[in-house]
Amino acid sequence: MNLYRIQAVISKEWREIVRDRLFLTLAFVVPAMLMLLFGYGLSLDVEDIPFAIVDHDNTQLSRDYASRYTSSRYFDFKGYSQDESLLSKKLSTNELRAYIVIPENFEKNLMAGKPAAVQSILDGTFPARAATSKGYITAINTAYSSELLASYLSKAKGVSAEIAAEALAPVSVSVRYLYNQSLLSTWSIAPKLIMVILMVSPPFLTALGVVREKERGSIYNIYASTVSRAEFLIGKITPYVLMSVVNAIILWVLATFLFGAPFKGDFLFFLLATCIYVMCTTGIGLVISVLVETQVAAMVVTAIATVVPAALYSGVLVPIPSLSGQAQIIAHALPAMYYTNILTGTFLKGTGMADLWQDVLILTLYAAGLFLVGYSLFSKRPRS
Amino acid sequence: MTATVQMSEAKASASLAVSARGFSKRYGKDTAVNRIDLDIHKGEIYGLIGPDGAGKSSFMKAVAGVLSFEEGTLQVFDTQVDSEASAELIKQRIGFMPQGLGLNMYPDLSVEENIDFFARLRLVPEKELTSRKHRLLGMTRLEAFRDRPMKNLSGGMKQKLGLVCTLIHEPELIILDEPTTGVDPVSRRDFWSILARLLREQGITALVSTAYMDEATRFQRAALMYQGKVLAEGEPDVIGNLAQGTMITIDVDSQADALQTLSRQFEQIEAVGSRLRIWVDEADAMLAEQQLRDALAGFTIQHLECDTPGLEDVFVAKLRQEGNVVADLPAFEAGNNDKTGVAIEAHELSKRFDDFTAVDKISFTVPKGEIFGLLGANGAGKTTAIKMLTGIQLPTRGEGQVAGANMSTAAQLIKQRIGYMSQAFSLYLDLSVSENINLFAGVYGLDSKMRRERSAWIIELADLQGYEKELAGSLPMGLRQRLALGCALVHKPQILFLDEPTSGVDPLGRRRFWEILFNLARVQNVTILATTHYMSEAEHCDHLALMYAGRIVADDTPDNMKAAVTAEAGGLLEVSVDKPIVAVGVLEESQYKGAALFGRQIHLWAPDDQTNRSRITSLLADAGISVLGMQARTLSMEDVFVYRVLQQEQAREKNAA
Repeated sequence: MNLYRIQAVISKEWREIVRDRLFLTLAFVVPAMLMLLFGYGLSLDVEDIPFAIVDHDNTQLSRDYASRYTSSRYFDFKGYSQDESLLSKKLSTNELRAYIVIPENFEKNLMAGKPAAVQSILDGTFPARAATSKGYITAINTAYSSELLASYLSKAKGVSAEIAAEALAPVSVSVRYLYNQSLLSTWSIAPKLIMVILMVSPPFLTALGVVREKERGSIYNIYASTVSRAEFLIGKITPYVLMSVVNAIILWVLATFLFGAPFKGDFLFFLLATCIYVMCTTGIGLVISVLVETQVAAMVVTAIATVVPAALYSGVLVPIPSLSGQAQIIAHALPAMYYTNILTGTFLKGTGMADLWQDVLILTLYAAGLFLVGYSLFSKRPRS
Repeated sequence: MTATVQMSEAKASASLAVSARGFSKRYGKDTAVNRIDLDIHKGEIYGLIGPDGAGKSSFMKAVAGVLSFEEGTLQVFDTQVDSEASAELIKQRIGFMPQGLGLNMYPDLSVEENIDFFARLRLVPEKELTSRKHRLLGMTRLEAFRDRPMKNLSGGMKQKLGLVCTLIHEPELIILDEPTTGVDPVSRRDFWSILARLLREQGITALVSTAYMDEATRFQRAALMYQGKVLAEGEPDVIGNLAQGTMITIDVDSQADALQTLSRQFEQIEAVGSRLRIWVDEADAMLAEQQLRDALAGFTIQHLECDTPGLEDVFVAKLRQEGNVVADLPAFEAGNNDKTGVAIEAHELSKRFDDFTAVDKISFTVPKGEIFGLLGANGAGKTTAIKMLTGIQLPTRGEGQVAGANMSTAAQLIKQRIGYMSQAFSLYLDLSVSENINLFAGVYGLDSKMRRERSAWIIELADLQGYEKELAGSLPMGLRQRLALGCALVHKPQILFLDEPTSGVDPLGRRRFWEILFNLARVQNVTILATTHYMSEAEHCDHLALMYAGRIVADDTPDNMKAAVTAEAGGLLEVSVDKPIVAVGVLEESQYKGAALFGRQIHLWAPDDQTNRSRITSLLADAGISVLGMQARTLSMEDVFVYRVLQQEQAREKNAA
């Protein structure tokens, strides 16, 4: 191992990167762009649902019921209407996501102690959003019903409204969300996006960089010279690892300052773990670049090998324990999941090396394994 | 006794740089190199000559230790190269420049940074590096371009930089894979003279491959390769004896008819401009001439000349003798268009790109039915000129008439009347042969009857029977080129434009290609305008225009061009000496500036008179070199090209100063 030769390869590679303006720009702009696009686009919160009400009763009680919806932050009230067919048309053009129909004699029936049926119509194209909307409607409706019941009870028994309400709901649930008190999805998404982006971008840079040399034919300089395989690979990859670490810091800044995700852990530990993860994903790029011959092939293979695991088997969309048995095995076999643990730990939970050393160790082994595979597949005297 | 044998064997192996025995290289099922035996001595320039696909690159890569092989043994210096580990042992002593002009260098790095990278990879000490860099850059005249990014260098400069990078660690053996392919003749000559100087000064060994047969004379020894086998090996003269025969060039009235008559008896025959060149299987010139005169009874022969055949002629003869027959051409229907008049007229055409003038006021006229050649180095403006004439690009200034239409206003009409074949052969490589033909027929709006007719004719013309369903991309270059030509001819154009039509095609393929062009011009009266890098091809043209820096600097028939240069320069003198590599240096230092090494001979510009003879003899005698012979040489088109371009360069430098 000769440091002088490694340095020669690094400095040549670095100059090439810096002079190729397009490549340099893409290397730094694309990860940040992805962070912004996904950060703003991938919010899983359902709020401000465009909403309308058809009130056939038009009484004080029906207005009161309707006001529970119109004052909610989850619904963006668009107005009253008498024309149901107009509303269903608006539902189809996405101007509305939901509306409720309050029937005639709503007040009269309730006052007479009879049940009243309110109909709610929801856009079911996105099941998750529809289910959440339905949850909001049910919750508002249940709250209103029990309030109504409580006021009956207080009138009938002559007790205060509070006592009546307590009597009606003997078991109450008090919920406190730890680590993400207000359950903002950006808090949890932003750190995980760092994982996704660092899974995809370092292998792309590395694979393109190495394969470019193969495709042009300048790899023969390496084959024909006395530089050893390890020296070449280390020199070739170092600039890409460094660039990716810089990217990681940029992404961290975006996640904490722009998306407001809390960072409770130790930054140095985060940086160390991130370096290891970046080496790991760079190693994926290395293995790919040793196997393919053209830049186009490198891009396609890298995309398949990184995007899918990063999105599906990392815990970013679906928590790992909720995956099927097979999917869980895949998730455990890939590096993304371990870094997701580290990210959630350092960002939201404030845990450090003491709790996350296992994940760090696995990533280290992973990186070492990938480099070993890349090293043994790379030959200075190939068959063709 | 045994001791002596052992000693002489040891001595023999000590004088060998490379020794291959039964060497074979296969890629899957394809055999690239088939059991060859080769010995390369230390201190010589050894050549591998052969067309694409001959196996040259595979062998060179194996010698450089960058490609494994399947069979046989390969010894480089004292090392048996049989594994990655053993290959590593020889790499410090070897410099390898792979095929492809400048492709192994880094386009975004400057000249100096490229050299530095190669040097540091080889652990050349910084102090050594500075002095070597200075010397090599000076020798290649790249000193002024140290800071220029490699991507902004011309083809010839890239090639020289490649050589510098290969030499920076002072290897004992350099392996150069087709260093002169795609480089203009002037840069090619320059390259050879630099290489000769390096060998002279440093005593290194060089293994060099080339696809240009006429470069064979540059080597001390060479191997002629074809389809993975060595056809002949040894000194260029020995290779030249591969097939015995005489080359006869004649000037005869009614050339096309004479060609028809002769081709019944002689298989290897080609039209070169207004002449015919015929290979006669008879080494004795007198007898050969008699055979030819008998065959041409009834024709008036204006002029007849017998020559020893060039290597390319010998190579084609050998392949022919081994049974590689080329199918006969289909019939060409006589053109019914008006045979007289002008097909292309360019008047002061100019094309500027920002502040760069690609084409500067060129004017020329091409009569109908003529084969017109546009010569020039890379970047001289040939392709831009063709693009303007075919209506692909609008000229900045000037005008032209093409096939009776104004090129600035009637581009669409012109496109119907002309055929165009570009450098890349303009085929769809993922379509089959017949799909390609149908596509071109469809583009030109041929009806289905016409389409079938033309399809059959093209298949026959290109000798593609049996390949109709093959993908164009899977065809060898020669067939691909002829298919492209057929596609350009599908709508029976009056004028055919060809932009570097024969790059990468082997001699047999090139011959058939020119045979087709000749028939098109002479029988069908199609006008042909072609650009080419191969100076031997320029001789096929009826008329030539030589471009330099966007301008036409010579415009005449090949013969007149040669006559003009001979008159100006006094002629070309060939000097045979016992130490050619040293001798060329001595002559370069003297008044004979253009001295160039061709194997054991040196060519220089000087009239063949007593003054020059005695001056050269005494100059060389002072350096301890004895002259073996001296004779005047007839010029080749390449000599003309180099002379004219150097003249322009000198005039330019004078103007700059």
